[in-house]
Amino acid sequence: MGEGTRAGAPTNGTRNGHSRRLDDDEFDRYSRQMVVPGMGKEGQLRLINGRVLIIGAGGLGCPAAQYIAGAGVGTIGIVDGDVVEASNLHRQVGHATSRIGMLKVDSLITHLRGLNHLPTYIAHPFPLTPQNAADIIAGYDLVLDCTDNPATRYLISDVCVLLCKPLVSAASVQKSGQLIVLNCPPSPQGLVDGGPYAPCYRCCFRKPPPPSSLVSCGEAGIMGPVVGMMGVAQAGEAIKILASALHLPPTEPSANQNQNLHQPTLLIYTYDLDAAPGPYTFRALKMSSRKPSCPSCGAGSTLSLEGIRAGDPNYEQFCAVNTPRCVLPLSERVTPAEFHAARERGELPRHVVLDTREREHFSFGSIEGAVNVPFGRLLMKAAAVQRDGGEVRGVLPEGVLTQTAGEGGGEGVEQIFVVCRRGLDSQEAVEKLKELGLEEGGRRRIVDIKGGMKAWKEEVDPGFPYI
Amino acid sequence: MSTKPPKDHFNILYFASAGSYTSKNVEALPAPLPLRKLFDTLEERYKGIRASVLDHSLVTINLTYVDMPEDSAEVDEAEEVVIQEGDEVAIIPPVSSG
Repeated sequence: MGEGTRAGAPTNGTRNGHSRRLDDDEFDRYSRQMVVPGMGKEGQLRLINGRVLIIGAGGLGCPAAQYIAGAGVGTIGIVDGDVVEASNLHRQVGHATSRIGMLKVDSLITHLRGLNHLPTYIAHPFPLTPQNAADIIAGYDLVLDCTDNPATRYLISDVCVLLCKPLVSAASVQKSGQLIVLNCPPSPQGLVDGGPYAPCYRCCFRKPPPPSSLVSCGEAGIMGPVVGMMGVAQAGEAIKILASALHLPPTEPSANQNQNLHQPTLLIYTYDLDAAPGPYTFRALKMSSRKPSCPSCGAGSTLSLEGIRAGDPNYEQFCAVNTPRCVLPLSERVTPAEFHAARERGELPRHVVLDTREREHFSFGSIEGAVNVPFGRLLMKAAAVQRDGGEVRGVLPEGVLTQTAGEGGGEGVEQIFVVCRRGLDSQEAVEKLKELGLEEGGRRRIVDIKGGMKAWKEEVDPGFPYI
Repeated sequence: MSTKPPKDHFNILYFASAGSYTSKNVEALPAPLPLRKLFDTLEERYKGIRASVLDHSLVTINLTYVDMPEDSAEVDEAEEVVIQEGDEVAIIPPVSSG
């Protein structure tokens, strides 16, 4: 197929910039990708004339940026307000041990310049906000969502809809990754007639997950290759879109239509640490096209850039970011220092400490004598007891309520102290245990250790291996 | 090839937090099952899963997105989506971290 007849592609490479000879430097550097069928000189020129914004310089943004820079995209902007930490380096491969403490955008651009000095790199060294999002995104042709929270994901998608920018969205946590190309080719907000048109993030995910179910890479963990694979795939999609001008409205009515861009594929990667790749490791799922009822891109959408700047919609509230979960009264909480002091003085004769962190966290250490009762499993066992009946004590490991820690020996535990990582799950666990009746009519006290093992490290044991 | 569900069953795949909640990646459930009964069926098996996982998840049948019908909506029998024997259903919660 000739360059000029490819679906949606321009006839002379001028639709997003001018055609010209390649410099010797460019010719050598990009030769291996330019000979790939479908790329050619015009595809390369479209990359060189292209402007890509990468939001987030972390586990997705680093690998994505490397391949985008290597491929010669002409203008590369990077948004991130964080600094490099040692715990980033197993997956955020654009940073370096020698750059710990440096702004991530500066660190990543240092790395990218070493890889390819030809592109123009633009640093946006602050977080994306409803106030600055439109001004930043307006300067680019395509956006990569490499962020780590739902509020920013909805913000990016909404602004991309309003500014008609295609969005390559990826996400990853623990052992799963997702990738989807949205709003590509972009069509004006509210347009439904003459469709179908490509969907936005809200068309696919209408409601954010409840904050209680949200886990960050810090808590849930993340395997480097899982997030890396998704970041590389994002770069692959971005390069494809720019080189083939898939983000521009088709020149002929039939052009982009046959590529099913309006029904994008959601690619899901599931990584099992203890199993070989299987039939469910990669799943490609066909999404729906733009939803007429979508509050962002659909027919009745009232979304506007002015509104977003002024705080409407309220993304933090929509995602309930700052809603505190379950705060127990002070009488049911004790600080690590208070607990430690009381125990040292021998004032806690019959007590047990339940540590509700995951097994992996617990394996690095805990409060002496603590019993590991992972929060998720506790809730499931509690639900089973509440649904099917059965022995309430069964939600805890056998013998926990009869064993005694500390002085006194005797008949059973009078106080249960619950500790978790940062002091949220433990409060819910206290409520759940009380709901199950484990206070036994007030004969037993169930108390939360405030601030979790993080606070324990700060107040009691500075050498504690807290993760 | 994927594992085929037993006779009169469909396979349901649980991704990301749906997998953590159910402690499994896949299981077989009895078919046929009207799509609008799916969340109730899962809630019965995994108490609390609707609010924690299902309400914000998307659902596919045989690798293609389906709209979840509203509980209260009038059901037109001709248009009722029914999960059939041998189908593959997937529960896909959004992942946000990066």
